[in-house]
Amino acid sequence: MNEEEGGAPAGVTRRTAIGGTVAVGSALLLLDAERVEATVQSSPPPRAGATLAIRPIVNGRAAPVTIDPRTSLLDLLRERLGLTGAKKGCDHGQCGACTVHVDGRRVASCLTLAAKTDGREVTTIEGLAEGDALHPMQQAFIDHDALQCGYCTPGQIMAAVACVREGNATDRPTIREYMSGNICRCGAYAGIVAAIEDVAKKGRRV
Amino acid sequence: MTSAPFPDRPRVDAREKVLGQAQYAADVAVPGLLYAMLVPATIAKGSVRSVPVDAAMRVAGVVRVLTASDFPPPPAGGAGGPPPPPTITDQIAYRGQPVALVVAETLEAAIEGAEAIRPTYAAMAFVATIEGDGVEPQPVEPSTGGDADAAMARAVTRHEAEYVSPAQHHNPIEMLSTTAVWEGGVLTVYEGTQGSNMAKGALMRTLRLSADQVVVKSPQIGGGFGQKGGAQRQTAIVARAAMLLGRPVKLVVPRGQIFHNATFRPKNRHRIEIGADAEGRMIAVRYDADQQQSRQGQFPPAYHESPPMMYGIADYHGTAANLRIDTQAPGYMRAPTPHPSSFAFDSAVDEMAVKLGIDPLAFRLKHRATRDPIDDKPFSTHFLHECLTEGARRFGWDKRPLAAGATVRPDGTQVGWGVGCGAYPANVHPTIATLRIGADGTTRFAAAGHEMGQGIRSTIEQVLVRELAIDPAGLEIAIGDTSVAPQHVTAGSWGTASAVIAAERAAASAKAAMADLLAGRTPPAGNLHRQLATVRRPSIQVEVTTTGPGQGAKEVERLRQGGMAVSGPVYPQFTSFSYIAHFVEVHVEPRTRRIRVPRVVSVADCGRVISPRTAASQVRGGVVWAISACLREATEVDPRYGGWLNNDLADYVVAVNADIGEIDVAFVDQPDNMFNALGAKGLGEVAMTGCAAAVANAVYHATGKRLREMPFRIENLL
Ligand code: FES
Ligand code: FES
Repeated sequence: MNEEEGGAPAGVTRRTAIGGTVAVGSALLLLDAERVEATVQSSPPPRAGATLAIRPIVNGRAAPVTIDPRTSLLDLLRERLGLTGAKKGCDHGQCGACTVHVDGRRVASCLTLAAKTDGREVTTIEGLAEGDALHPMQQAFIDHDALQCGYCTPGQIMAAVACVREGNATDRPTIREYMSGNICRCGAYAGIVAAIEDVAKKGRRV
Repeated sequence: MTSAPFPDRPRVDAREKVLGQAQYAADVAVPGLLYAMLVPATIAKGSVRSVPVDAAMRVAGVVRVLTASDFPPPPAGGAGGPPPPPTITDQIAYRGQPVALVVAETLEAAIEGAEAIRPTYAAMAFVATIEGDGVEPQPVEPSTGGDADAAMARAVTRHEAEYVSPAQHHNPIEMLSTTAVWEGGVLTVYEGTQGSNMAKGALMRTLRLSADQVVVKSPQIGGGFGQKGGAQRQTAIVARAAMLLGRPVKLVVPRGQIFHNATFRPKNRHRIEIGADAEGRMIAVRYDADQQQSRQGQFPPAYHESPPMMYGIADYHGTAANLRIDTQAPGYMRAPTPHPSSFAFDSAVDEMAVKLGIDPLAFRLKHRATRDPIDDKPFSTHFLHECLTEGARRFGWDKRPLAAGATVRPDGTQVGWGVGCGAYPANVHPTIATLRIGADGTTRFAAAGHEMGQGIRSTIEQVLVRELAIDPAGLEIAIGDTSVAPQHVTAGSWGTASAVIAAERAAASAKAAMADLLAGRTPPAGNLHRQLATVRRPSIQVEVTTTGPGQGAKEVERLRQGGMAVSGPVYPQFTSFSYIAHFVEVHVEPRTRRIRVPRVVSVADCGRVISPRTAASQVRGGVVWAISACLREATEVDPRYGGWLNNDLADYVVAVNADIGEIDVAFVDQPDNMFNALGAKGLGEVAMTGCAAAVANAVYHATGKRLREMPFRIENLL
C-alpha cells in the first residue's frame, strides 16, 4: 500500500508535494509545446525582501514569475497570476477549497510552496474546460446541483476529477471517503457524490 | 399571474461557479493593492498599554501599522439600527479583538509584520463561561398564551428535563474579507456580506462619510449562514487604512481570528415541562431558556419563536434570559433559536410519547395546531401533518417497532428510527426593484438581496422567465450591491419571498408598460426583445415597490435609508410559519459506539416552491447542518485565558462527505396565498429545524439512551 491509500487522500498528497517526491518527468510530456510558448501574465514582483524566480507551467502555459520564497502556490495563483478559481478557505490544509493538480495529482495549494512548483505542471479549475466545452465533471456538478454558494466548488471539482483518475470512484462509500478532504459547508455532499458517480459510470475519460 | 407549480431548472449561476469564474469579494482584481493583517489581543479583558510598531516597520515591505490612535472616536448613538462595531480601541472586551492592522506590499510581509508586534496590556479579571462566577443574568419578556400553571395542574402525565446546545461557529468556507478602494472621494468596499446596506451604514457612521461616498458590493457570498449578516469588525478598519494610505487594501481574516471576532451561536439551555391529559394529549408547557451573551450583545434569546406554533398547545409559558459574560457578541447562526429550541422541544415531545407508550408519529398527529397561542391569531397555512404523513410514507415508518433497542444487526449494530419537526417564521421585507427589458435581447432586474448559495437568483429567474417572454441568456440579476438598489440584510429566510414578489410585480408592470406602448395594436411576433425592436423602442423600464402584509410607506422609507424593515411572522390578520418533518435512521456501531446517519427523509411546507432544484439542495444542506450540529460541532471556551480553543477546521469538526448518507427531500408545495400572491414562505432556515431532535430520537430508539446535550459523542453512548 502506498502512502496515498493509507490515509486522508488530500492530506497525504499535500505532504508528498512539499516533500518533493512528486515525479516531474511524465507531466512535462503531456504539455502541448505550442502552448508552453505562450506565457501567463503575472502582476509585478513584490517590492519587498528576498525573491526567487520560478517557472511553473500553469494550465499548459509557462508562468515565469518572481516571488517571495514564502509564497504558497495558492497565493501565487490568486494574487500574482490572477487565477482566483482556487479558493482560500482555511490556509491550513483543512478544507480543500484550494485543491489544484500538480503534475496530475491533487494537492492543497495553500500548503504547497510555490517554489516547489518550479518547472512542474499546475492545473487549476480555469484549465479544466476545453474552450466553451465544459469538462464532464463540471457538467455533472451542474446536472446534480452539486453546489450552493459555489465557494468550495473549484476545489471539489479538482478533487473529484482526481478521485476518478485515481480509481477511487468505484462506489458511493468509496467516493465519500476519498472526497472527505473537501469540506462543503453548504452541505452539497449528496449532489457531489451523485455527480462523481455519474461521471465514473459513464466511463468517460477525465 | 398564477401560483401554479414551477418547473425544475438548473441553478442560474451554476455554470460560472463550476468554471471558477464566479467572483467572490477577495477575488476582485484591484491594481496597486496592499495587503493587511490584524494583530489579535492576547488578553480576555483589560486595556492596551502600548503597541510597539518598530519591529513591524523594519520588515521589508511593511508600509504602515494602524493602531487605536489612527481611528476616529466611535460615533454618537442614535437612530438607524444597532451601533456599528468598534474599530481598533484600547479597551479589550474579548480575547482576539484587533489591536493593530499591519499594511504591506505583500501578504507575506503583512503576516511577518503582524507577528512582529508584541503589545503590552493591563489585564483585568474576566468571566469566560456561563457556568462561572460573575455571570450577569438578564431576563427578557416572557412568551405566554393561556394559563400554563392551571393547565399543568390538570395534567395527569408530566415530563420534565433539561436540554443543552453548545456554542458553535458558522464557518462558511469563504472567510471574512474586506477589500477597500478610496478613489475620488468615494469608498468602494468589496466584501462577502449578507447586508451590504448594514456594512454601508456602519462605514458611513464610523468614518463620517455621506451616503453618496460609500458603495458596498457583495454579489456572490461563499456561504453566510448568518455570520455575514451584521456589520463586520474588520470592514471600517480596512477602509480607514485605504483612506489614510490612498491605495486599495485587502484583508482576508485568518480563520482563527474569525472564530474570535465574528458572531457565533451562543451556548443555550432549555428546561422544559410538558403536561398531558388523560387522553394522552399535550395541554401545558412551561419552558425556561437561557443563553450565553456578551456584556453588550443584542442577539435576543427568542427560544419561544417556534415551539408554541407546532402542536396546538394553548397553555404555554416561556421565559428566557441572557447570561452576560466576557466574550464577543453572539449572533444569528442558521435557524438561530429554532434549531436549538426544536432540538429541545421535539426531544421532550418524543419523551412524552415514550412515557405514554404511543408511537411518536401517531402522537404528533394527535395534535393539530390551528391558532398561534401567543399572539392569538389563526395560521395562514400550517401543513405540518402533511409533512409528517408524506415523510412517513416515503420512509416506511409503518415497519418501525415501538420498543427502543429492538433492532440489532448480526454484527451488533443498533438501528433506530426517529422523527423530529420544526418551524420557522415566514418573514418578508419591503423591496424596491427596477426591471429593464431591452430590444438588444438583454434584461436587467435590480433589487434587494444577496446570493449566498441559497439560490435567490434562481428564484428570481424562475418568476421572470415564467411571467415574461424574455431571453434567459440575456438576463442579469443585479443584487447585493448598494449602488444598484436599496439593500436589506438577507437572512431569516425572507430573501426569496421578498424578491420573488417584487419580480412578479415588476413583470406585471412591464407587461402593462408593453401594452401601453402597443396602444391596442396586436403585439408583433417574437419575444419581448423582438417586439421592442419591431416597434423601434430600445427598452422599457419599470420600478415597483413591494411591502409585507400590513406595511406601508414608513417601512419603504426605512429601506431607502438603508435600515431594516422586516415583518413577520405575526401579521395583522394571521401568523405565518414554514414547517418541516424529518425522518432519520441511525446506526450505532457496536464497539466504537459511533453514530452514523445512513438515511434521512425530509418533507417541508415552505408554501409554493419557486425553484425546485435549489430548494431541494437547501433542504439537504439544512439536514447536513443539523447532523453536523448534533454529532460534531461545539466551540470550546478556554476558561483560563478566555477565547476559543478549537479555532480551526481541524479541531472544530464539521460534517464531511463520509458523514452524510442518502437524503430524500419532498415538498408539500401548497401556496400560502394569504401571505403573498405567489404563496412562497421561506425555506433555508426551517430546513435545519427539528432534524437534530430526529437524530436524538432515533438514537434513543436504537439504544434506549436519551441524549439531551448536543453534540452527541461516542462517550455519551459507552
Ligand atoms: S485553503 Fe487550502 S485546504 Fe483550506
Ligand atoms: S457550495 Fe458552499 S461550501 Fe460547498
